[in-house]
Amino acid sequence: MSLPLPALLNAVATALANEVAPALQLLGQPEAPDANYAGGTAGTAAMILMLAAAEAAHGPAREAAAADAARPLLGEAATGRDARHAALGAALATGNRAALALLIAEAEAAYAALGLPPPVPVT
Amino acid sequence: MPADHLARWFAGHWGEAVEISGLKRFHGGSARQTYRCDVTGASGRRESVVLRRDPPSSLIETDRLAEYRAIQCFAGSDVPVPEPIFCDAGPESFGSPGFLMREVAGGQAAGLLDPEPYGDHGASVGQQFFTALGRVHAGDPTAAGLDAPPTHPALARLAHWQAAYAADRFRPEPVLEAAMAWLAANPPPAPPRLSIVHGDYRSGNFLHDGAGRLLAILDWEMVHAGDAHEDLAWACDPLWSHFSGKAGGMLPLAEAIAAWEAASGLTLDPIAWAWWRIMAQVQGLVIWISAAREIIDGRSHDPVLMFAGTIPYRFHTLTLAKALEGL
Repeated sequence: MSLPLPALLNAVATALANEVAPALQLLGQPEAPDANYAGGTAGTAAMILMLAAAEAAHGPAREAAAADAARPLLGEAATGRDARHAALGAALATGNRAALALLIAEAEAAYAALGLPPPVPVT
Repeated sequence: MPADHLARWFAGHWGEAVEISGLKRFHGGSARQTYRCDVTGASGRRESVVLRRDPPSSLIETDRLAEYRAIQCFAGSDVPVPEPIFCDAGPESFGSPGFLMREVAGGQAAGLLDPEPYGDHGASVGQQFFTALGRVHAGDPTAAGLDAPPTHPALARLAHWQAAYAADRFRPEPVLEAAMAWLAANPPPAPPRLSIVHGDYRSGNFLHDGAGRLLAILDWEMVHAGDAHEDLAWACDPLWSHFSGKAGGMLPLAEAIAAWEAASGLTLDPIAWAWWRIMAQVQGLVIWISAAREIIDGRSHDPVLMFAGTIPYRFHTLTLAKALEGL
C-alpha cells in the first residue's frame, strides 16, 4: 500500500481525534455548516479503519509471501518491501520479465486484500 | 468562517444587508474546500451559490485562477458549466484564494465505488459527457488564457508528473518508474492542434440530474493546453469505470470515442491513444503517492487523502504493472 501501515495508523489516530470526533458531534446538528462534510469524513474514516485493521492482520503474511517468491531471483534483497522493490526495479530496467511477474503478483495480492471487484479493462 | 466572508462580500457587492443560510460544506473534492449557501438580501433578492476556496493542504497543487478562467470560457456555451460570479486570487474575500459560482440545482455526482451511479441513464449521460469533452477540445486554449506547453505536449505532461513524483516519492515504485521510462522513450506524435485539456475529466467530476441529463462539468483546477488524447484517456481509465468495463461507467469505448470525435473534429490517433492510456495510470499513481505523502508528513489528516493513498493507489499499481507486460 502506498501508505505504510505505521504512518496510516498514526494518521488515522490523529484524524479520529482532530477531525472525526468533532465530525461525529456535528452529525447530530444537521443545520451546522459542516454536518454534511462531517458525515462524509466519518464514513471515509470508518472505511480507512477497516482497511487498516485488515492490513494489520494480513499484511505481514502477504509481505512474507512476496519475499519468499522473490528470493530465488533476488536473494537477501527480497526481504523488506523497499529493498525488494528497488532490486526488482533494477531488474525490470534490464528487461527482466521475471521481475515484472513478481511485481504483478504482489500488486494482485495487495489489491485483492481490499475486497473490491477486480479492475475491468475498458476496451 | 465562510459565512462571515460570504456575508461581507455579498453585502458589499449588492449594496444591502444580506443573510447567509443553508451553508453546507461538501465532502470530497480534495483540491478545494467547497461550500454552498443561500444568500438573501434585505430587498428580497435571493441567490444560491457555491464557494470553492483553497484548503491548507490539497491533493494537487493548482493554479488558483485557471479553474475560474476555464469556467468563464465555457459559460453560456454548449459545454455545461456552473455560472461564474467572482474570483479572488488572494485571501481578502474568502479567507483563502477562491471563487464563487451560481449553484447548479438538483445535481448529483458519482462516487468512485458506486456500482451503477447512472442507473438506466448511463448511455444517455455518457453521450452527453463525451460530446461535451469533444466540444471542450474544439475550443481555443488562448480563449481560456492558457499558454502553450513549453515542449511537446506529451513530454511536457510527463515532465510535470515526473517532477511531482520526484518531490513526493518516499520509497521505490518500480512499476511507476518503469512506465515513466517507457513513456519517455516512446513519445507519441504531436497532436494536430493544441486543445483545452480539462485535466481531470472523469466520472465523478460532473453533475447530472439522475434522469439522464448532464448538468455541469466541474473541477477545472487542472486545466491546461495540451493534447486532447490526455483527457480522453483519463476519462476512459478503468479506475473511473465503476467496475463496468464501460468508458466512465457509461458507454462502450467505441461509442465514447465516436461521440468525442464527432464533437471535437479530431480523429483518435492509435499510437497517441496507447501512450496516453499508460500516461493516465502514471498520472493517477503520482497523485495517489502525493496524497500519501501529505499524510506521512503530517500536513493533512483528511481521510479522503488516506483513501486516495490506498485504494486508487493499489488499483493503478496493478493495472499499470499489467500494462507493462504488453509494452
